[in-house]
This record gives sequence, structure tokens and C-alpha cells, in this order.
Amino acid sequence: MTIAVLLALFAGVLVALSRQINARLALSTTALAASFWNHIVGFVVLTILGLVLGGLWPEGALSAPWYAYLGGTLGVIFVASGSWLIARIGAINTAMLVIGGQMISGVLLDLLGGADDNFVYSALGVALIIAGMALTQRRGE
Amino acid sequence: MTVSTRPSPLHLLLAFASGGLLTLMVDFNGLVALHGNALYSSWVAHGTGTVAAILFLALMRQRPFPAKGGAAPGTPLWAYLGGVSGAVTVMLTSTTVNSPLALSGTLALGLGGQVVFSLAADRWGLLGLPRRMPKPRDFAAVGLIFAGSMIIIFGRS
Repeated sequence: MTIAVLLALFAGVLVALSRQINARLALSTTALAASFWNHIVGFVVLTILGLVLGGLWPEGALSAPWYAYLGGTLGVIFVASGSWLIARIGAINTAMLVIGGQMISGVLLDLLGGADDNFVYSALGVALIIAGMALTQRRGE
Repeated sequence: MTVSTRPSPLHLLLAFASGGLLTLMVDFNGLVALHGNALYSSWVAHGTGTVAAILFLALMRQRPFPAKGGAAPGTPLWAYLGGVSGAVTVMLTSTTVNSPLALSGTLALGLGGQVVFSLAADRWGLLGLPRRMPKPRDFAAVGLIFAGSMIIIFGRS
């Protein structure tokens, strides 16, 4: 359990580290170029991992609905926008605003899917997130 | 180099939309992982993403290298390695979601790790980016967004 906690924390650190590294590349190239390198390097690493560990072409590989395979394309835009933002508003603002957008859109997606049994918690959470996002917008000290 | 830029409404909107994109992306990639496995899903996402990025670069008449051939001047080699970190993340999270932490614990701790690293990255200008001293109000905003996220994550489980 302790190891799982450390791994999960480290995964979060790696998300932020990756964004910071891509933003550094975007400084001397462009945000889109940084996103390209992120994906091609990740692809090479995962190919090697897959060849070593196996499971690179599992059964049912192409049986998911077609739109599910658009995840990678969305990822290109996601990485590019993160690289662009971080140089302009800093790492913590980028991280928190993206997390806020992720949480609120997740709640909306749940509601659209008809899952509203946690409505009170979700509404309270969304209210706190909006308050936090508003706080980043206030001028002056 | 120290900057103290506040996010403008445009930045806020873009970051927010990017978070929405992330929700869809996680949903789609999760669907692929359900039919295959986590490694396969990430591999496919990076492969199709590479092709998409090449198309986007061509459409916008950009090059992955600004100068002819070779790395951009003044770019350290490690700056091209952001994708390694992303690939390892998949391995870690697909392990932890199947541990007692489950999805909610993985998400919550992952947000914690992001917050700590991002604050440090701004404070010391890590990896060649501008330094940005966090102010008390930044901590208040982080606290509110983090608390709201925790309520949503654990309210769902």
C-alpha cells in the first residue's frame, strides 16, 4: 500500500515534469513541435516496453468504437496547449486551471450520462473549484 | 528571470477547455484499454498522436525543428524527452488503479504530486522556465481547487 501511494504520487510528479520539459522545448521551437516530439518519443519508449513485456497487440485490439481511437489526436492538442500556457502563466496556474476544467467537465459528463446520485458532493466540489479559479483572476494583491 | 503574470480570461478559458479535452481523452483511451490493455491504449494514443501532430504541423506550415535539420539552437537534448515521462506515467497509474488505491486514490495522489512539483517548478524556475514566486493568494486558489477536486473524486467512489 505504501509503495502504491508513492507510485501514485510519483505519477503526478511525472505529469507535471513532462509538461515542464515540453514547455522548455516549446520555448525554442513551437508548442505544436513540442507536442510532436512528446508523442514520437513516447511512442518509441512504449514500443520498446511493449516488445519487452508483451501485450502490444492484444486480442480485441481494434474492437473499440472508432471514436475511441481519437484519444491520441486530442492528446496532441492537450500537450500543445499545456506547453503554450505554462510559459505564460506558470506551472501551478496551468496545473490548477487544467485540473479545474477536467473535474468540472467530468461532472458534466457524468450528469449527461444520467449518473446524478452524487449530485450534492459534485455541486459543492464544482463551487469550490469555480471560487478558486475566480481567485486567480482577481487583480492586485 | 522572474515573472508575475496572472492568467488572463483567455488563459483561463484555454486551460479550462484543455481540461475538458483531457476528460474526453481519458474516457476514449480508457475505452481502448478496456478492449485491449493499458499499455496498448497508450501505445496507440502516442502512435496516432504522432501522425496527427505531423498533419497539424504540415497544415500550419511549421517544422518540428525550426532550423534546417538538427536540434533548435540552445535546446538541451533532455528537452526532447518529455514523452519518456509521459510513457512511464501510464505504467505507474495502470499499476496503482489496480491496487487498493483504486481510481479515486490514484487521481487524488496524482493531483497532490502535480501540485507539489508545479509549486517547486515555479518557485525555482525548474528546467529552464521562468521563476514565479507563489503568493498567498495562489496558495488559496490551489487550496480551493484541490479541496473541490477531492470532494468530487471521493464523492463519486
